[in-house]
Amino acid sequence: MRSEEAIRAAVQRVGRIVRVRRAALYGLRGLAWGLTTGLIPLLGKAGLGPAALPAALALAAVGGMAGIVYGLLLPVPLREPARLVDRTFRLDDRLATAVEHLGQVPRGPLVEALIEDAADRVRDRDLGATVPWRWPREVRILPASALALWVLVLLPPVRFPEGVFPSLTPSGEQEAERQAQSVPVAQDRRLARARETAPRVEVQERDYLRRRGTGRETQQGDLSAIFRDTNIAQRRPDFSSFLKHGDDRLKILGQVESLPDLQRDFTQSQFRVAFRRAKRLLAGIRPDQVSPEKLRELLDEMRRLGRRGGGEEWGQDVWEGSEALADGRMQRALEAMERALSRMRAMEERSGKGLEGGRDRGRGQGRNPGMRGGEGEDFGEYEGSLPGKGTNPDWRGAPSTRLAQDPLDSAVEGQPRRGRRDAFDTNLLGKGSRNPSHLPYMSVYAQYRKMMEEALTKETIPLDYRTQVKEYFRALEER
Amino acid sequence: MGEERVERFGRAFEALRGEIQKVIVGHDDIVEQVLVCLFVGGHVLLEGVPGLGKTLLVKTLSGCLDLSFSRIQFTPDLMPADIIGTNIIVEDAEGRRHFQFQRGPIFAHIVLADEVNRATPKTQSALLEAMQEGNVTVSGTAYRVPVPFFVLATQNPIEMEGTYPLPEAQLDRFLFKLRVRYPALEELNEIIERTTRAEEPTVGHALPGDQVSGFKELVREVPIASHVRELASTIVTATHPQWPQAPEVTRRYIRYGASPRAAQALVLGGKVLALRAGRFNVSAEDLKAITLPALRHRIILNFEGEAEGIDVDQLILQVVEAAEVEARRGKEVFFR
Repeated sequence: MRSEEAIRAAVQRVGRIVRVRRAALYGLRGLAWGLTTGLIPLLGKAGLGPAALPAALALAAVGGMAGIVYGLLLPVPLREPARLVDRTFRLDDRLATAVEHLGQVPRGPLVEALIEDAADRVRDRDLGATVPWRWPREVRILPASALALWVLVLLPPVRFPEGVFPSLTPSGEQEAERQAQSVPVAQDRRLARARETAPRVEVQERDYLRRRGTGRETQQGDLSAIFRDTNIAQRRPDFSSFLKHGDDRLKILGQVESLPDLQRDFTQSQFRVAFRRAKRLLAGIRPDQVSPEKLRELLDEMRRLGRRGGGEEWGQDVWEGSEALADGRMQRALEAMERALSRMRAMEERSGKGLEGGRDRGRGQGRNPGMRGGEGEDFGEYEGSLPGKGTNPDWRGAPSTRLAQDPLDSAVEGQPRRGRRDAFDTNLLGKGSRNPSHLPYMSVYAQYRKMMEEALTKETIPLDYRTQVKEYFRALEER
Repeated sequence: MGEERVERFGRAFEALRGEIQKVIVGHDDIVEQVLVCLFVGGHVLLEGVPGLGKTLLVKTLSGCLDLSFSRIQFTPDLMPADIIGTNIIVEDAEGRRHFQFQRGPIFAHIVLADEVNRATPKTQSALLEAMQEGNVTVSGTAYRVPVPFFVLATQNPIEMEGTYPLPEAQLDRFLFKLRVRYPALEELNEIIERTTRAEEPTVGHALPGDQVSGFKELVREVPIASHVRELASTIVTATHPQWPQAPEVTRRYIRYGASPRAAQALVLGGKVLALRAGRFNVSAEDLKAITLPALRHRIILNFEGEAEGIDVDQLILQVVEAAEVEARRGKEVFFR
């Protein structure tokens, strides 16, 4: 019991010290703000007269007192002083734990021992050192506020400016005079604007004339491009004709089907791709100054386009160009390239749209719905499930005809498959296009087999599927 | 009376540690934390490369206690029945046949699960029920494992080929995960000196096995202050990225935080450390001393943490620091 009382007494004593220190802390805070607020009546000393100083002092006193009262009234739970004592004397939370378990009934032997131990450790301690003094942040402004107060007391009353502010609005005469001066200026401006208008028409006409018939690329927002391929593209705007007959452009806009497809991607036309590259290559230089490397790249690009479709028409010219280039006959190579370009253009004009190729090749035409398995078939989006997927019972798929043709083909070249895919089409140009990706066939098999084994051992796979996966790899092994 | 029990606990703890250190050189913290687990009644996962004395530590501990010991070497073809036992047909004197349960090696006070990550998850899970519930169910019949029941599992962190990492649910059942590190130079010299002599060091029974259960009860009687308990909760909660006050490192690197078992491990481990220090209460320092072994296997890093190679131990230390600040916030005696 004596231990319990000793603990309570120690904690209460520390609690009292905490209150006093808190009161001092908040009192200083209140005093600082009270002094600062007290400067206001001193600034208005001229109006308040002799009551300004007592008012300032009263504000400071009220602030300080309010702080003290607030600090004294703040609650101090018993465990807070106990934790302070623990922290100060490094008691490893003994006192705080003991205080919390003082009211426990029944107490276990360990709690009894703890209370005894904690009481022994707080006896004869200087508990005053437990709660340190703390200075509030406002202490920094306290001297400045006091000094300002003292200075304002000594200085004579501050006189604020009196009377009305000067008028900034102009008088009626000044306004009339200014208006009179501004009339000729406005007239000049109107004349100047009229003079500016005339040449603008010429500039617009010049721009329009330069545009017509160039077949240049469509610019975004250029509405005149709608009429680019029509007979009215050559006409100049004629206002009197418009009044008599109406504008042919408006009539054409009504015939939606006859308008060219502006949404079509320019790069869909492979002739234009090749033409643009050739133009860039030959722009501004003589044929003997053309870089053979660049010309070879262009011919390779054209050959690559030929592989995607239509190559039988211009392939011979491209081949001749390459041969001539290899022999160092630049002029012959350029002629062959131009012939190939002409054939490409002719083919495009025959087809009425861009050359076919890429993922659009043959889409919607010439399909053989019965064809399944093997190389070159189209596993389109709506052409049934792939072998080994979904409900397709043919889980093995057909053997690769390419491998059957060349049993020594150990490196498989990557080939894009038509239909839906997760990759992006890239229009690869340059040297990289001559090196398609290869992967040793047996290496592919080994990689996939290893992945299969790992998946079978480490992942949750239904038993039915396990057999199917194993059978699939066994079938591959047989081939 | 309380003082006497605490003193007896301290003497037993020191006696056990002294006896183990006759054989094990260094690894003082590992030995201490293994003993903490023993007196809490939890299980230990020892992780370290081969040859650091993990198995020797467990064997030495079993030699110091007067308790039954069994060792299970986990291999990929080990089956659950190899651990917990199976029903066999026996014939009595009258020629009648009936099933009789043949107990497996798990029915021992101290079980060494050597290289536990080499067995399949199915076999690993055979340990689960025994570790958590203290019994084993075979063919609908539950069999109690002996008390005290102490599982010490070892695993090798670097040789991962052909291993089955323990699932999070099973990791959580281990009170502590201890990382056994390489010995220092002086310790290595001492190991060579002790193990290459003609006579090998032997250990005696430092503590009767039945006293371990008594000490476990004593541990649970140790009082704890509310602010220390709150610190444990705050530390565990601060490992959860969903917590609004979670520190920045938690939100950035942790996917899943520690479970409530981690808080239990912190408090119980802290109680043992308090008793070992001769104290009757848990202090905040006791908790902080065991945050690493209690939390490191219960925190799952996210992709960013894995990609940046974040050390979980360093992460925990930062979380604890932040949790301390958070637990103290708003409780300053001066400013409210």
